[in-house]
Amino acid sequence: MTFRTKLLFISSFTVAGAVALVTGAVSISTRRALERIDTTRREALLSQFRAELDAQSAEIARRMDLAARSPGVQQIAAGEAEYDRAESEAAAASLDFLDVIQPDLTIISSAHWPARFGYKNDWQISPDDWHSSDVFLTRIPTQDGSAPALVSVRPVAGGKALVVGGRKLSPEVLKSLGIAPGMRALLWVPPGEVIDAQGRGNDPHKLDTLVQQVRARNAPATGVVQWTADRASAEGFAAFPIMRAGGLAGVLLAGTSLQEQMALERSILWTGVVVAGSGIVIGFLLGWWTTERITKPVERLAEGARAVAGGDLDTRVDVISLDEIGELARAFNRMTEQLLEQRERAIQAERVAAWRELARRLAHELKNPLFPLQITIENLQRARGSADFDEVFDESTSTLLAELGNLKTIIGRFSDFAKMPTPQFETVDVNDVVRSVMKLYDARFQANGRPKIEPVLELAGNGARVSADPEQLRRAFGNLVLNAMDAMPEGGTLRVRTAPHGSGVRIEISDSGQGLTEEECARLFTPYYTTTQHGTGLGLAIVQSVVSDHQGKISVVSRPGQGATFVIDLPGGRA
Amino acid sequence: MRRTIWRSIAAASALSALVGVLDAARRPRYGGELRVEMRATLKTLDPAEFPEDPAALAAQRLWQPAVFETLVRLDDHGQPQPWLATSWTHDLARKSWIFTPRKDVKFQDGSSWSPAGGAISFPDDRPIDQILRELAGARNAITMRAADGTLLGTGPYRIAKWDAGKPATLVANDQYWGGRPYLDSITIQMGRSLADQANDFQVNKADVVEIALRDLRSAKQRGTVTSETPPMETLALLFENGRVPPNVRAALALSIDRAAIHNVLLQRQGEISGALLPRWLSGYAFLFPAERDVAKAKQLASAAAALSFAYDRDDPMLRPIGERIALNALEAGITLRAGNGTADVRLVRLPITAGDPWLALLDLASLLKRAPPATTADAYEAEKAMLDASGAIPLFQLPQGWTLRSRVHNWPRFEDIWLDPGAAP
Repeated sequence: MTFRTKLLFISSFTVAGAVALVTGAVSISTRRALERIDTTRREALLSQFRAELDAQSAEIARRMDLAARSPGVQQIAAGEAEYDRAESEAAAASLDFLDVIQPDLTIISSAHWPARFGYKNDWQISPDDWHSSDVFLTRIPTQDGSAPALVSVRPVAGGKALVVGGRKLSPEVLKSLGIAPGMRALLWVPPGEVIDAQGRGNDPHKLDTLVQQVRARNAPATGVVQWTADRASAEGFAAFPIMRAGGLAGVLLAGTSLQEQMALERSILWTGVVVAGSGIVIGFLLGWWTTERITKPVERLAEGARAVAGGDLDTRVDVISLDEIGELARAFNRMTEQLLEQRERAIQAERVAAWRELARRLAHELKNPLFPLQITIENLQRARGSADFDEVFDESTSTLLAELGNLKTIIGRFSDFAKMPTPQFETVDVNDVVRSVMKLYDARFQANGRPKIEPVLELAGNGARVSADPEQLRRAFGNLVLNAMDAMPEGGTLRVRTAPHGSGVRIEISDSGQGLTEEECARLFTPYYTTTQHGTGLGLAIVQSVVSDHQGKISVVSRPGQGATFVIDLPGGRA
Repeated sequence: MRRTIWRSIAAASALSALVGVLDAARRPRYGGELRVEMRATLKTLDPAEFPEDPAALAAQRLWQPAVFETLVRLDDHGQPQPWLATSWTHDLARKSWIFTPRKDVKFQDGSSWSPAGGAISFPDDRPIDQILRELAGARNAITMRAADGTLLGTGPYRIAKWDAGKPATLVANDQYWGGRPYLDSITIQMGRSLADQANDFQVNKADVVEIALRDLRSAKQRGTVTSETPPMETLALLFENGRVPPNVRAALALSIDRAAIHNVLLQRQGEISGALLPRWLSGYAFLFPAERDVAKAKQLASAAAALSFAYDRDDPMLRPIGERIALNALEAGITLRAGNGTADVRLVRLPITAGDPWLALLDLASLLKRAPPATTADAYEAEKAMLDASGAIPLFQLPQGWTLRSRVHNWPRFEDIWLDPGAAP
């Protein structure tokens, strides 16, 4: 991953992360604020409901007092009225339910279920209720099942009968509460009816869990009910117990639709997503622009460094900024300028050193034949006029010619090095070249009076064909063989190995001589450098020149006392 | 002494005058319009039509004799009496019965009723009593279709107006063979609820209105003039589809507390019965059981499915009885859920349309959509077979009651009804 990409990712995700954090924080704080508002509203609702319940209870108690004293109810109690007289009495007292019953609970007349005359009033209420004037919440059996009601009991005709009456606990009770928008009040009454002022008709069984919590602890509980698969149908409820005589008479459920809250959270979330998305885009663009300004100079510096590494010391980085990158670029430019100057000085120094070495070598090479020439000429001058002048003359001229021949040879070698020809490439079997060179020197390996050198050939089995100039290869290999022979004045083993190397060929020429030091290895291919007393220092320079002209590579591996191995890698076919 | 004689003479004269006034008051007077209201809505009086609504059938059977007559009629004791036929006898071969038509009988358009050949013949393939009772049936009334399509009869009144949903008017048939009826006309308001009828009666907009049975006794106690028939309708539970198994039907029949309903809801009006026909008509009604046995009902109805239960909720008599029946059934473990339209169980009024068991069963068979009873079977067997086939549960036989304005006399014998103009409104 590039530095620019990293910068882009970092900037984009930083923006997105910041937006996500802000969005989450806003959502949480909004939800908590709404919950606080809901709690306040629910408590107010509970207070209103209790007040409304008390008001209704007082009204029912008043109407029951009137009904109990009415002549009609007295007639019913005395058995002097028709079976359905309670209907008109209930209507007169504005009561939804009215039963006149005998002390044994046999119904004399029932307003809400006239057909029940003669049946027992089998309410599931405690016996105390029959002797209490309190208004209480219970269920009244009706033809359609049963209905929740606020009822009260009064004795009639001196206790000869009882009148039980009250009003149905209708949704109107809940409607009369001042309910804030988005809220609603439900009333759960045993065994499982839910009165809903708004008549939404949701499945009341979904409230069972919440109601059970209230029933188990007789304490308020809260929960969320999702009415349908749609999450928008979720509704938060606070359930408050309505107690009577130590028992649970009902549960008031204050519900708040979570639709608006969820819509708000969704809006915040989407705003966050949009802002985060925009932030990512903007961050990407800004990052792009920023990284363009930051990484472009760095890339130029990198390109410059690569060029310098490739040897192009003329490379300059064009950076005009005044920041750290600009300072770095200017330092880079100064560095390359200094490197260039140092290289030129080094070249000049090396060139001077080469000339000095050449001069020293020439002086050394020429001094050797010149001294015999001087002695011979001085002998001739002294022998002039002597009797043996002719003899001296002959010897001296022979010597002069021999030394002049040496001079000529020395000059020829230098001339050859200077006149290295351009290689003429053709397909060559390196093994053949190696064999021909070894054959050329075979006689010298076995020459009398010299320590024997044992040649060992380890040639590649399938041939080793490359594109090369066979004459130059032969000359290079010959120089290396001569060099090996010089390295083994006391004889030894000369090992030549060829092997495939990549698409080319590797040639290894090893001797078992005394080896080379590291310094010698480092300077071995320097022209005119020699480790022998009579060498010109041009042999290995010529070898390196030939290998270089063939796009190959030469190296030497040696340790003192363990011989040396020259390794030549020649590339394969030439385009 | 003389004073005493004179006083005696004066007293005798005054008494004589008072008796004369009273006698004049009881003497029928001609004229006047009788205003009648009823709950049923009757589309036509055509004897050939058979209303499927029991209330309409009852109304048709009530009003048909005012317009249409039969050859013979059944008297108050159920015995056939000559009417449009004055006599009947065998022919010489004793293979037919020859009925002699009454003379001077005219249809309501003035045309004479003259059977072809001057006599009416029926094959002698059944006992004569059966033939006579059949001829007394309303469907065998003598009718004639006029040129304008109007259906004419020979009765004391003719139809002046009878449009569905509107008040019907019968006017006196001046050429009635039995003499012009006393009333000039009869106006019939149909489809009026009992409450509306009571209101109309209170404000003097009606002379004759129907009254709920439970109010009959209190009306009499208040001195209101009432009229009631012998039990002329049967309250029964019908099973409208085959969904209710026989054991549940039997359980339902055993669960009903007829006594409580009769004592409290019906104020002891009518009779408890397990038969379709009332005791006064058949004489064998007691043979059909009507006792309550909740324990046995619970056994029979164990795990019974809930049944839909329908009745006319606007009927002030049916509604409390229906609610009580549902309560009784619930006690036995049978849930009856109130519903409308087609129901498993329906509480209905079945009219007793004739004074003859066989004729009454014939109409009941039509109402219950059963095959007519075999003419060879006696009435008990026919009724028992009909009950077994239909699964109906008879509950009560009830009279029909009317509240009459005091000026109305001889209700409901239409040919004899007259209005006393001197009576208090």
